Amino acid sequence: MSEIAEAVLADGSKLQYVVTSNPPRGGMKYTYFAPDKSYVVQFFNDPKMGQDAKMRDRIAAIIGKYNPTVSEENGGAMGNTEQLAEYFADKYCWPTGIVVSPEFGIVSPAYPPKFFFDANSSLVSGLDLRGRDKKSNWFTSRNRKYLDPRELGNFMLMLKVCISLARSIRRMHAAGLAHSDLSNNNVLIDPKTGSCVVIDIDSLVVPELYPPEVAGTRGYIAPEVLATMEYPYGDPRRSLPCIETDLHSLAVLIYEFLLTRHPLNGPKHFPGMSAEEEDQRLMGSDAVFIEDPNDTSNRPDDLKVTIHDLGPYLEELFIRAFVDGLHSPKLRPTAMDWERGLLRTWDLLYPCDDPQCKAKMFVMYDADHPVCPFCGKKVSASEIVKFRLKKELRGKRGQWMQYGELVVYNNMPLFPWHVYSNIFADEKASREMQAYVVKQNGRWLLINQRIKGLRSASGDLIPPGKALLLRNNESFLLSDMPNGNLVETVMIP
Amino acid sequence: MSDYIRRLPVYLLIDCSGSMHGEKIEAVKQGIRTLVSELKGDPQALETAYISVITFASAARQEAPLTELMLFREPELKASGATMFGRAVEVLIDCMNTEIRHSTQTQKGDWRPLVFILTDGSPSDAEDFKVNASRLKAMKAANIVACAAGADAKTEYLKMLTDNVLMMNSLTAGDFAQFFAWVSGSVRMTSKSIEAKPGELMLPPPPHGFQIVP
Ligand SMILES: [Zn+2]
Repeated sequence: MSEIAEAVLADGSKLQYVVTSNPPRGGMKYTYFAPDKSYVVQFFNDPKMGQDAKMRDRIAAIIGKYNPTVSEENGGAMGNTEQLAEYFADKYCWPTGIVVSPEFGIVSPAYPPKFFFDANSSLVSGLDLRGRDKKSNWFTSRNRKYLDPRELGNFMLMLKVCISLARSIRRMHAAGLAHSDLSNNNVLIDPKTGSCVVIDIDSLVVPELYPPEVAGTRGYIAPEVLATMEYPYGDPRRSLPCIETDLHSLAVLIYEFLLTRHPLNGPKHFPGMSAEEEDQRLMGSDAVFIEDPNDTSNRPDDLKVTIHDLGPYLEELFIRAFVDGLHSPKLRPTAMDWERGLLRTWDLLYPCDDPQCKAKMFVMYDADHPVCPFCGKKVSASEIVKFRLKKELRGKRGQWMQYGELVVYNNMPLFPWHVYSNIFADEKASREMQAYVVKQNGRWLLINQRIKGLRSASGDLIPPGKALLLRNNESFLLSDMPNGNLVETVMIP
Repeated sequence: MSDYIRRLPVYLLIDCSGSMHGEKIEAVKQGIRTLVSELKGDPQALETAYISVITFASAARQEAPLTELMLFREPELKASGATMFGRAVEVLIDCMNTEIRHSTQTQKGDWRPLVFILTDGSPSDAEDFKVNASRLKAMKAANIVACAAGADAKTEYLKMLTDNVLMMNSLTAGDFAQFFAWVSGSVRMTSKSIEAKPGELMLPPPPHGFQIVP
């Protein structure tokens, strides 16, 4: 029931695709695959949509001057280098071409194989997941129980997924683009490797071009969009998808990834109301965060791990997203806020003592009461070691200000952004390990790998290949090069 | 936490009268098998969709109660006898009345059920059918799609049940497969999308070769 067809692209080139009788179909488009599955060709459910000149302009801009996966030199986004283009190429499934015949459509790359389940992914007979894409709610809903534990990753890997997502969305927003339909369907994740890919890029809201009409996905639409859907499209009272509505969806996804539950789905409901009307209210005008500290009307009585257990940075961000900003879009944390908060949280990760613990690591926010919130295991180590990262105040030699904190554990790596205060762990940073910490015979050692100018508390140079003995309350220069950090070691018994 | 998940009830009303005997009923069985496996591959459908099969021939009965996908066992379908379609609609009404959860003090209600009806003939119990069809339509409790399989299926009866009537012109195994694939797409879409307007059904366009009966 399948045959090969040929698509003609806007640049005159031709591509083959396999026509199947019931192609996978989303809210807007349906999809055919290349004979070798290396790319997909998508057409619109409503063919009239493709005849719309505004839609064509929008997609041309997305493929061209707004494209972060192509360097500026090759017709992509302004300022985009070859290296950055390469970094983002596997973070999105960004369209690569416009189909003009047999009708208007889009060509996109296929997602990498890691975003498809294989024959070993399912834990139960009667559920064959081979070839199904890894939509994020496989991992965040009760469907988790059907998956092989090896698919589920752990808390650190989920944090990595969140960082990757926040970074991808930050990059889009920095260019003024809004995704408009961020959801469990349009973000595929592979917890095993901590990666994610953002798909369905063609419904982006592009600055100064007519916005797309997106239906949105249940559970991810911003409350203000849902609450004003009764107004016709184009009515000024109606809230349309934009960067701020993306920020609601992004926060929902991050919450789901880290806590495997939906932030607004609690016991609150309206007896006697139809499900559809009730849902409209509970996700829209009457939405309440299940962990709202002031309004407990939607709080489940069986919450074990809460936002407090995710450490101070994420707790604050979730309060801003789902309490302050739930009905006030301007107060929502930006994607950049999320990226920073997630990275700072990453630096607080600490391995759980219980080898059976599924989370493997947790956020060590309270060194006086170190307990893994996921399994309840108390940390047995004789002391918790922390690095206080300090940078030199500009123009004030010898004056240092603490700007970060790092919880230390055996075999913990240090990266350039730990060594130098002017490096941020974004797509531009080198990910080359600089040093690592080990605990040997009860002593903590920092092993220098490639830091230039690492100095002990007494000022001795520790060259690469040599170790620095860490002592409580001692401060040492991670690097005496410009922007090198001063580190104060703190050992909490 | 799972208590806060709403179910999406899906009822399949399948004509198992004598005229469906042979290749047609085999194609329906295969179609249901594919439908269930497709829905299991979609995380949202797997989490929310519950399926029930009601058949009608000389009698009508619920072959499979509303069951979550992972526990659904495909019923043994055989085709013979008359077309007690009116009785089947009555069974559907009874099942919906007992199985559909409404929002109460202690629970969240189910999503509006989806009902897919497939028939290749016309009711043997035409009077009963008219009574029950108007009862069902008046309940406004479900989104109903009826598919007339082949020229012998009388669409005027189906129109009494719902405004969403499809016509399948040829009756090859491939056509039945397409119908069930479309049902799968409709369930998946319903499980994700929100209603733009209350009660407005948003379904994918019908498969190629199927006509929407106006
Ligand atoms: Zn643990």
